[in-house]
Parts: sequence; structure tokens; C-alpha cells
Amino acid sequence: MKVAIDNHRCTGHGLCFALEPTVFTDDEAGYGQLAIGTDVPSEDQIAAFRRAVHACPEQAIVVEASETSE
Amino acid sequence: MADSATASSSVFNMVALPMADDRAASWRFFRDAGDVFESQGIWYITEPEAVRFALRSPELFSSAGAFTQHGVDLPQIPINIDPPDHKRYRMILDPLLSPRVVNAMEDTLRAQIGELVDAFVETGSCDVVADIGRLYPPQVFLSLFGLPLEDRDQLVHWVEEMSAVSHSKDGGPAQSVQDAANSLIAYLEGAIAAKREHPGDDMLTEVIERAADGQFSDDEILGLAFLFCRAGLHTVTSAIGFLMLHLAQHPEIRRDMEKDPSLVTRVIEESLRTEQPVPFSPRIAMNDVEVCGVQIPAGARVRICLATANRDADKYANPDELDLTAGSPGHLSFGGGIHRCLGSHLARRELKLVVEEFHRRIPDYELKQGAIPQVEWPSGTLHLSELNLVFAAGGRS
Repeated sequence: MKVAIDNHRCTGHGLCFALEPTVFTDDEAGYGQLAIGTDVPSEDQIAAFRRAVHACPEQAIVVEASETSE
Repeated sequence: MADSATASSSVFNMVALPMADDRAASWRFFRDAGDVFESQGIWYITEPEAVRFALRSPELFSSAGAFTQHGVDLPQIPINIDPPDHKRYRMILDPLLSPRVVNAMEDTLRAQIGELVDAFVETGSCDVVADIGRLYPPQVFLSLFGLPLEDRDQLVHWVEEMSAVSHSKDGGPAQSVQDAANSLIAYLEGAIAAKREHPGDDMLTEVIERAADGQFSDDEILGLAFLFCRAGLHTVTSAIGFLMLHLAQHPEIRRDMEKDPSLVTRVIEESLRTEQPVPFSPRIAMNDVEVCGVQIPAGARVRICLATANRDADKYANPDELDLTAGSPGHLSFGGGIHRCLGSHLARRELKLVVEEFHRRIPDYELKQGAIPQVEWPSGTLHLSELNLVFAAGGRS
């Protein structure tokens, strides 16, 4: 399980940390960042990430189902 | 392709849309006019994926020269700026309007909206648009810039005179618009000079200090301040009206919010989605470009339709209804791509404070009997002309 914000896509709408504050927070400039480590999220956290993927207007949140080798 | 677009433009009459009473039908009608179509010399992009593509492609769809100037020759930082300069401005400005900065202002802003509601709570009625919507955003601007709140009514007057230009269909700015723009600029020049003499703990002082470091020119400070007045006041006025209209029409949402105050965030986002104050992002096509099979010529004026993307039937189960369930999709009401609204965090906080402080005093209310809230149309910014509510005098019964 890997979660990331694509910084090239993110333009700072702030919906991730407004709607899912348990897993996202804001940085100095008002852009979203992960509020927790990304490697072993709980079921609840995964659900929150998936909701944020829907909410993001820039489609900047990436959730990958599993870590696989290259 | 161009022929079919021209054909649709000949039957499409924007002014005839039933926007005043029915935005759902209007935007459906607009969307059905075509994925991309031309009407009266302006190219509209309505297809949701194409909308996102256009917002993300500033190299194809430029913002320089796309916005009304009100006869004013100022660099309107950063809305009229293309890459690569745009990024430099945003890196300076984003932190000055971040949620953390807004947090630091919250107590002041909360007290101010409380006073505005207190002014009418004993009367048992109010017009949300006149009594909150027109007054609160200019107060917030004055607070942000560290300017006297007594200047509010003068500011309201100029900004409303200026926005009259976006109410008319086209043509150059009227004399009254130019006069108001010039008066506002003279006011802002005076404010900047005064702030240089007496710096404060506010955004205008920050910007002036960065100008001293060479990050902004004098014209750019003025252009930025002017843009804030143009873009940050009547838009929030409009959003306040629509938000309170939704809540007046849905007492069950008010009850749910009382049980779960965190619901207010979703109510605000869904109100913004379904009733976005600014339905279009204007751009200029940089090259001949084909979008959804339609050729848009280089130099064409383009309007990217945020409203139809917000009501995308493929994305939203009930696009015209508020969806307050967790996990509902987001919206483009603050635009998208690099020009995403700089003031969005402040605007959201204003809306939240309005809801919280209004309902703390007046939990129950309804539309005044016979009142039919209507949107002014045609208009650049969609907004209710008035929103009359009645409630038990004194509020809490």
C-alpha cells in the first residue's frame, strides 16, 4: 500500500485536509501533505485516502494497492 | 467540425437561459449545447474532462489578457500572469493566504460576523445578501490588509459600481465603472502609502516589505490589492447567499449540523459545487487547438465552464442535489490548475464562520412568505439579489 500526493498536479485546493483531516494536513503555503506515514495505514485510514482521491479536483492523490518490485 | 459548432451557436441564446429560477435546468441546457461550442465570438468548453484539460494547460489557454480590466492598466497579479512568472508570484502569495494565516485571524473574523448578526437578531427578519453578504467580505478584506473597518461602505460602493460591468453583456466599461475603479485605486494608493509610514501585522505590510526586497514593484502591489477587491468580495457575497439559501430550504441539514458540527465543511463544499459564484474561467487560446473534435482558433476568447463540470452526471449520482455523504466527489468552483483561487482558504473560513455564528444565534428560520430568491442573469458572477429570512425575534426560542 502506497499513498502519495503528486506535487506536480496539486495546486493547493485544500480539499484533502479539509475533508479528511485524519490523514492529511496543510503545509506552510496551504498545500496538502500526508499527516501519517504511508506504509502501513489502517483500514480507516485507507478508506479516508480513497475518499480523498475522489474529492481532489486535480486528481493529485495516488493510492497504489500494493508495493511491488519495479 | 467548425460548421457544427457554428450551427449550434446560431440556436444558442445565453440570455434566454432560465438561470434566475433554475440553475439545474440552465446548466443542463448549456451542457447539451455541445462539448465545445462558439456563441457570439466566445468559445465555451463544457465537457468535464475537457474542462480539466483546459484548466491544466496554461500553455494552450492563457490567462494574460483574458480578464476584464475595468479600463485600468495594472498588472493584476497573479490572475493575469502566465507561466513561468506565475509560479514566482504564487510562491510568495500562497503562504500569505494559507489556512495557517487564516487561523490566526479567526477570532477577529468570528467576532465581526457575530456583530453583523447581532445587529438584526432582535428584529426577527433579515436579508442575508444585504445584511451579511455585502458587508462581511469587505470587512474581512480590510482586516486582512490592516485597514480601518470604517472604510467598508465606501469600498462596497466602488466594488458594486465596478461589478456592474460584468452585469452588462459586453462592450467597454461605462464611465461610472471607470470612475469607481479610479476612486478605488486612489484609495488603495493612499492605503499603501499610509502602511509604508505605519507598518502593521497584516498582509499589506508583508507585501510592501517584499517589495522592498525587490519581489514586487509598486505597480504590482497596487495591482494585487485591486485584484483582491475585484475577485475576493462579491464572489464571497454570492457564496454566502447560496449557502444560506440551501440551509433555509433544508431544515433537516441544520438539525444534522447541530448534532454533528463537522458536517458544516461538507455543506459548504456542496453548496459551492452546485451554486458556484463564478461559472466560467476565461482564457485566450494561444494556438489553433482541437478540443472534443472542435477547432478553436488561435487568439479566440475561451470560457472554461466550471459549472457543467460540477454537475457532471458521470461523476455525481445526483448532480443537482447536495450530497453530504463522506466521500462525495470534489468540485472546481475555485477553478483549477495553476490559477486555483488564491483566496479559497479565506473564503471557506468566511463561509464557515457565517454558518456557525448565524446558527448559534438563530438556529431556526425560514424564507419570508412569498419570497422567491432569484439569481441575477445575465451576470458574470451568479448571485442572489436578496434572501429574506424570518425567525423568532431574538433568535433562540
